[in-house]
Amino acid sequence: MTLKELVKKVFFLEILKGMALTFKMMCTRAVTIQYPKQRRRIYAGFRGRHAFVRDPKTLKEKCIACMRCANICPSQCIYIAKKKRPEDGKLYLAQYDIEALRCIYCGYCVETCPVCALVLTEDYEYSAYTKQELYFTKEKLLENWDEFAAKQKEDTYFNKFWRPDGIDASKLPKGKREQGPVPTRIVVVSEPESSPEKNEKKETD
Amino acid sequence: MNFNEIFGTFGLQSTSFLFQLLIVLVKIAVVIAITMLHVAYATYFERKVIGHMQVRVGPMRVGPHGLLQPIADGVKLFFKEDIIPSNADRTVFQIAPLVAVFATLSSLAVIPFYDIFYIANINVGILYIFAMSSLGAYSLIMSGWASNSKYSFLGGLRSTAQVVSYEIAMAFSLVSIMLMAGSMNLIEIVQAQQQYWYGMYLIPQFVAYIVFLIAMLAETNRTPFDLPEAESELVAGYFVEYSGMRFALFFLGEYIGMIVMSSLAVVCFWGGWTVPPILLKFIPQLAIVPGIVWFILKVYFHIFLFYWIRATLPRYRYDKLMALGWKILIPVALANLVVTSIIKYIY
Repeated sequence: MTLKELVKKVFFLEILKGMALTFKMMCTRAVTIQYPKQRRRIYAGFRGRHAFVRDPKTLKEKCIACMRCANICPSQCIYIAKKKRPEDGKLYLAQYDIEALRCIYCGYCVETCPVCALVLTEDYEYSAYTKQELYFTKEKLLENWDEFAAKQKEDTYFNKFWRPDGIDASKLPKGKREQGPVPTRIVVVSEPESSPEKNEKKETD
Repeated sequence: MNFNEIFGTFGLQSTSFLFQLLIVLVKIAVVIAITMLHVAYATYFERKVIGHMQVRVGPMRVGPHGLLQPIADGVKLFFKEDIIPSNADRTVFQIAPLVAVFATLSSLAVIPFYDIFYIANINVGILYIFAMSSLGAYSLIMSGWASNSKYSFLGGLRSTAQVVSYEIAMAFSLVSIMLMAGSMNLIEIVQAQQQYWYGMYLIPQFVAYIVFLIAMLAETNRTPFDLPEAESELVAGYFVEYSGMRFALFFLGEYIGMIVMSSLAVVCFWGGWTVPPILLKFIPQLAIVPGIVWFILKVYFHIFLFYWIRATLPRYRYDKLMALGWKILIPVALANLVVTSIIKYIY
C-alpha cells in the first residue's frame, strides 16, 4: 500500500467525494415533471393514439380500403373489411378496426397510407379499464380525431411525419403528396352514419 | 407569584414529592410530544433531502409541498389491519415493537437538552444510554424469532451480531470522552468542554468522533449498515411480518434511536447546548440565543448527516461490516483510548 492509498483510506477521501457530489446535486433543480400539473413537451413526430382524419368535405374518413396499412403492420393489429356497393359495384370500407393494445406504434401505417387517412395523434392519455375501450373501430377512430382536433390551438393541423421523410415528393401517391393542413374546427352536429344526406349541412367554421 | 403560591392552594409545596413528580411528568410529556412530532417530520425531511439529492422532489401532493404527508402516513398506519402470522409466537410478537420504542424512548430521559431542561440528571448517563441501546437489540431478535419467517430471522440475527460488535467500538470511543471529562454524567461532560477555547471535544477527540459516527450508523441500523433490513435480500428484515401500528412502532424506535444517538454525539463531542467560548468572545450577541437552539441545530446537523450518508453510500457486505467493526474500529478506538490516557496522565 502506497502512502497515497493509505491517506485515501484513512481520510475516507472517496466517500467524501461521493458526499460532495450528493450535496451538489441537492442544490440543483429537480428534474421531476409534476405530471398532472405540468406536462412533458410533445416533440414533433410523437406517435400517440390512432385516429382517422375527418375529411372536411365529406366529414367522414378518407380511407379507401387499399389494405396497405394492414399489410405493412408488423404486429398485424389492423383488420379491414371491404364490401361491394350494390349501386356501382365499387369497393368501400365496411369495417376498420385497430387493436391498440397490440400496436407497437411504429408508424408504418401512417407512412404508407396513400391518402393520409390514418394518423397517429399526439394524444397519450387514453388508458382504459376494459380492452373494448382500446379496440378502435372506424367510428371510434373518427372520434379520436375530433378529440385531438378540439385540443389544437391552431385552426389547422399538419404533421410533416405523415409523409415518409427522405422520399422525393414526386414518387408519393397523389393524396399523400397534396395533403395539406387539416382544419381542426369542424363541428359534427349529428352522427354522420345516420343519414348521408344530412352530411352536406354540416358546417365548418 | 411563584410556584409555591400557585400550587400551594392544591396542597403542593415546591419541595414536596408530589410537586417534583408533577414537574417530571410534565417534562416527560413535553419531550415525548416533541419527539413524536419530530419523528413524523423526520420522515418527511428524510424523503425531501434524499429526493433532492437524487434530483427528484420528494413528497409534493399532500398539502403544500407535501407538508401534510407525515400526517397522512400516520393516519394510514393507524387504521391499517394488524396482521399476526398464524405460526408466530403471539406474545413475543406483540411485545417486540413495544420493547423497541421503550428502549429508545427511555434513553431520552438522560439527554440534557439544555442546562435547565432534562428529565433525569444521573451520574451514569452514558452507561444508561448504552444499556438502553443494547436493550433495543432484544426487540430486533425477538421480532425476528417470533415472526417465524426466514427473512425476519436472518434480519434479527444480523442485527444482533452487528449491534453487539459495534457497541464495543462505540463504548471505547466514549470511554476516552469519560476520561477527558472525568465523569459519566452528560451534563458534567458538557460543562467540562467549556474549559477549552473551542468548547468541544470534537477537536482533541477527532478519532473517537469518527469511530463514534460509524458505530452510531451501525447501532441505529442505518445505511450503509442497514443489513438487518436489507430490502434487496431480506425484504425488510426483522419487521417483514409486521403491519399497521406495530410496524409504525418499529419505525418510531428507529427514528427516536437516531435522535438519541445524534444527541449523544452532540453532548459528548459538540459541546451540547453551548457555543464555543471563542465565538462568544468575538460575537457576544450569540449569548442571547437560548441554548436549546444550538442543541437542536447540532442534532439536526447529525440527522441530516444520517440522510446524507444514506443518499450517498451503498450497503456494506456482511463480512466487510464485521471486518470494519472488529479489525479497524475497535483497535483504533483502543489506541485512541491509550493515547488519551497517557496524555491525561502527563498533564
